[in-house]
Amino acid sequence: MKEKNNHTKRFGMVIDLDKCTGCGSCMVACYAENNVPFRVDETNKLDSLSWLVVHKITNGKPYPNTEICYLPMPCMQCDGIGKHGHSPCVSVCPAVATDYDHETGIVSQIYTRCFGCRYCMAACPYHARKFNWWDPVWPADMKKYLSPNVSPRMRGVVEKCSFCFHRYQQAKDKAFYEKREELYEDEYQTACAEACPTGAITFGDLNNKNHAVYKLKKDPRAFRLLERLHTNPKVYYLTSKSWVRRAGDNYLANEEPGKIKQEMVHGH
Amino acid sequence: MSQTDQHQPVSTKAMPGANETPAANSTGWIIFLFFMIGFVGSLLAGWILFPELLYSKKNQPIDFNHAIHLDQVDDGCESCHFFREDGTFAGMPGLDSCIDCHEEAQTDNPEEIKFVEEYVTQGIEVPWLNYSKQPDCVFFPHSAHVIGADMSCETCHGDIGNSEHTRVYEQNKLTGYSRDIWGHNIARLGKHKQGEPAPMKMNDCAKCHKKETGHKGACFQCHK
Amino acid sequence: MKVARRSFLSLSLGVAAGVTLSPLPWKLMDDISIWTQNWPWTPVPEDGEISYAQSICTLCPGGCGINVRKINNRPVKIEGLKEHPLNKGGLCPLGMSGLQYLYGPSRIQSPLKRVGKRGSGNWKKITWKEALADVSEKLYDLRVSGRPQALACIASTDRGTVPKLIARFLTAYGSPNFIRASTAFDSLEQAIYLTQGQQGTPGIDIENADFILSFGTGILDGWGGASRMCNLYGKHNSTKKIIQIEPRLSDTAVCATEWIGINPGTEAALALGLAHVIIKESLYNKDFVEYVSFGFDDWTDEDGTVHEGFAKLAGSYPPDKVSQITGISKTKIVSLARKFARASKPIALAGRGQGSVPGSIDECLAIHSLNALVGNINRTGGVSVIPGPDYAKWPEVKMDVAASKGMQQPRIDGAGGKQFPNTQFLLNRLPEIINSAKGESPVQALLVADANPLYTLPDTAATKKAFNRIPFIVSFSSYMDETSAMADYILPNHSYLERYQDVPTPAGLARPLIGLAKPVINPVYDTKHVGDSFIQIAKSLGGFIENAFPWDNYEAFLKESLDDQWDELNNKGFIENKYDDLPAPLAYSFNTVSSKFEFYPTLRNNPKNKDVDVLPAFTPVPIEGDFQKFPLVLIPYDSIRLAGNYIANSPFMTKTIDDTVLKQQTVLVEINPITAKKLGLCEKDKAVLITPKGKADVKIHLYEGIMPGVLALPRGLGHTAYSKYLADKGVNVNDLIGPIKDPSSGHDMAWGIRARLTKA
Repeated sequence: MKEKNNHTKRFGMVIDLDKCTGCGSCMVACYAENNVPFRVDETNKLDSLSWLVVHKITNGKPYPNTEICYLPMPCMQCDGIGKHGHSPCVSVCPAVATDYDHETGIVSQIYTRCFGCRYCMAACPYHARKFNWWDPVWPADMKKYLSPNVSPRMRGVVEKCSFCFHRYQQAKDKAFYEKREELYEDEYQTACAEACPTGAITFGDLNNKNHAVYKLKKDPRAFRLLERLHTNPKVYYLTSKSWVRRAGDNYLANEEPGKIKQEMVHGH
Repeated sequence: MSQTDQHQPVSTKAMPGANETPAANSTGWIIFLFFMIGFVGSLLAGWILFPELLYSKKNQPIDFNHAIHLDQVDDGCESCHFFREDGTFAGMPGLDSCIDCHEEAQTDNPEEIKFVEEYVTQGIEVPWLNYSKQPDCVFFPHSAHVIGADMSCETCHGDIGNSEHTRVYEQNKLTGYSRDIWGHNIARLGKHKQGEPAPMKMNDCAKCHKKETGHKGACFQCHK
Repeated sequence: MKVARRSFLSLSLGVAAGVTLSPLPWKLMDDISIWTQNWPWTPVPEDGEISYAQSICTLCPGGCGINVRKINNRPVKIEGLKEHPLNKGGLCPLGMSGLQYLYGPSRIQSPLKRVGKRGSGNWKKITWKEALADVSEKLYDLRVSGRPQALACIASTDRGTVPKLIARFLTAYGSPNFIRASTAFDSLEQAIYLTQGQQGTPGIDIENADFILSFGTGILDGWGGASRMCNLYGKHNSTKKIIQIEPRLSDTAVCATEWIGINPGTEAALALGLAHVIIKESLYNKDFVEYVSFGFDDWTDEDGTVHEGFAKLAGSYPPDKVSQITGISKTKIVSLARKFARASKPIALAGRGQGSVPGSIDECLAIHSLNALVGNINRTGGVSVIPGPDYAKWPEVKMDVAASKGMQQPRIDGAGGKQFPNTQFLLNRLPEIINSAKGESPVQALLVADANPLYTLPDTAATKKAFNRIPFIVSFSSYMDETSAMADYILPNHSYLERYQDVPTPAGLARPLIGLAKPVINPVYDTKHVGDSFIQIAKSLGGFIENAFPWDNYEAFLKESLDDQWDELNNKGFIENKYDDLPAPLAYSFNTVSSKFEFYPTLRNNPKNKDVDVLPAFTPVPIEGDFQKFPLVLIPYDSIRLAGNYIANSPFMTKTIDDTVLKQQTVLVEINPITAKKLGLCEKDKAVLITPKGKADVKIHLYEGIMPGVLALPRGLGHTAYSKYLADKGVNVNDLIGPIKDPSSGHDMAWGIRARLTKA
């Protein structure tokens, strides 16, 4: 193989919560990109297939001091302890249907391999995984809009956000064709990042100094969800509101979110 | 019947070291014979009949002569099976690739006449049967292999470019996929013959990847 | 016989050994496992060549650029167009789910004729020839009977060549009754006309404003082009200040620099209160007020009568009084006024939510006066007027006797008449006028194009009653919406991805930008461009009507209209008029009587000659309902995730709706926990919501972000038509809220209604 672009990539996302307006474009972009089906009643959010969910969190203060923050949550693509790819879901899958891709840092999910035991769903602390309780149905002629780049799932398997991995595959195809070894930053972007009308979602290689996410993850506003579980998520959030940051983990009243993070980093 | 059955072992035990009677001797042979009948029969069934039954045979809609075409194009296989500018592989050529030369039949070859009459003039794409069609969950990047790793088409597809007739397409009745994926050797033992298409199951990919890159690859490398 | 069993066992053993040593079990196992992964009902999308087609999204008036990804010419995904100046690659959820409109179950696939009772859903498929012949015949008969003016047409907009073509048809036919839906931009347009004498689309230069004082305008809830506003917010969220004033913590309020809760319906009082502080503290733009304004101070007319000026009006709204009316503290009013006046490019916005209700003219004038006080008129970062699109001149319509007689009749909706001289269209009045007509309905035939009045008009029951009195209704909708369901004939339009359509400068944009929506796919079903339908009907009506349409089809008409812009539009998709600053001559060219900006709008209808009727004094909008019987107030709210206009939600958008908005079939009404506690209601409790207009089954959602005593329901739910993915979910707020006529403009100014909530 000619390819020399083997130095490990860690694709990740930085979501600026100060910019998120909760419009839901990212969710719809994801549905449309990834052939996510829909049902007549989607109001039971526990069984609603959605690879990216925009959660609404509140500071709980009474009117008129109420504040709200929208929190888009895709799969966190956990690196696991020591960044060895020992993510919570990968380590419990009995079928190797979900695995950690060391080249990109993306946690894969192979639907044809999955037999639906849902251990991974129990293991995932972020509720990023969804189960296909029903066969997908595309009414009328809607099957015609299905994309061949993402395989439609069948009943009985688990699915989740793939960081639009097929776009990486396609971008690499083009790079090979043009005899390039590296992808440009804008060549591989997730559908949600691309769709976000406020530009709140930034996507790129966390290891690449030239990518925007490299700098953004070091922003003083940056934090990750449930950091103390040592799942090492590759999705970072930015917020200037301390109550939002506090909501990102189960902090005790006397704990300071920023400090805890430091301890954790030093721990490894 | 049960009486004789119970009696039989007792009587043989009762005569330890005694010469086997002709009857007993023949019984052993018969038993062995039955074993062999079952054994050989099922071997034959498993090795010969089963593959015959498992695959249905189909002919390509047109008996395409690759050799003739390969002689007349400048760019080898890629003249018709080309890469698009976005790096995707076009695969089977559509009518628009053929129409420049075959607007009208150039020879009196009945296959060509059939092609022109039934497809070209009517504007219907030929429903070619794809020997290498992978399941929907598979993403196979031709560019990574042909351009990136500089592999030749023959490595996987065999010497199809010099064939004068299309092969019979054998379709697995259970899975619907081409026999080429599993490989023509039903036991998948040994190496496939030079010039013949290589088997294309996931293990085959992994084997080659392991050999060439040192790692059999991650799931998302080829799955979608 | 003796060996039978042993032989059999032996045979079995042999078979077992043989089978094991043959590939059969291993191969079979593999094949079966593959078989189980390939259920025939799980679709395998066809692969092929990827291509992109660019167009403009017309699902809302926002005019965003879209890039449609296609596989073998089959559209598979809609993305935002990176090169487009408004959305710059981003796209709202409505635009994002566009393909669901193309292929969805609510598409009408061929012309239909009603066979059962109206609204029963029994249709007969007919050919286009039959459909056009039937409709033409009906229209012919109506015209021959001497009442061409009894034909009316409802559209969602009057901008662009399609509505112009329809209006032209009506003119040649002899009916002045082209009616389009009104929005908050109509009120602003009128306020601008009254104060500046300029007619045209209001341009609101949010792009360059740095302090946005929004009186409930949902700038991040879908107003002014969702993707455009989101794009601006993302770019400038740390530099621009947004002050959001409304009784509910909307998504705009969530993102605003500051959210100020206000008693609903008292926005005009706050505007006057702010003006009071600005004038009192002399913070206003003196150059503007002194040199280019009129009616700021008291003035004397030719007869010697002294008239009150705006300053005096504002003087009667001191902070403590305004604080009492609005519920906002005195100090906050004062500091807000100072911040607004001291900002370098402040702008004040009127119109609630997405602006689907025009609102009160007084309120709009009061808020617009704030812009004038800071001199932010016809200036970068301010409010200006955008000229209409520059279409090539069409040949003049020659009218026959019937047509000119019909055209001399007053408009049925009363717009432009004595009572409402400055209003162009009053769709909201149509149901009331039809229902109160003695004898026959004044509308005998109704054509509906790109509109869904049976869903979007307030007071659905009255609208339905009025529609039932119209003997002949034709819908040109692409979808089985509420209005189509009530029609006699449906002549389905191509979907927005299958047709040409020019897109004039989106409402609210301060820079001219025209776009061209192009077909990205050949029509999937047996549909026809609405423009072609009208041209063909005109041709079959013959005579002067036919002569008014010398074009073969809509495309020819469009090409001729766009003239030398066609090529660029067809290639690039949009033409942007780039300039950083508004051209100087435009700046202060007011066409009022005084040639100045009139704080005292002399153009305003003033039959009683009273200053209070002209100056934008605060008079509470008399919302319906008795306080004793209905102690609460219900307001509608807009959300980007819910399409409340004539285009209804896609299944994908409905999928994104939180379970605190919709749970199964029931909508959740937002209520402050304090109010809920008083009523003994808890989260998710079932309740009945009753207003003077109707009642609905709801569930309770306790929301800290809503003012106590106020209830809120989303717009965009409660459809009765479309498919099961949308129908019968929640309640249409228009079932519960009726229109209130603005005495000055005739527009609907209802911002809510009184309501009662009881536990079910």
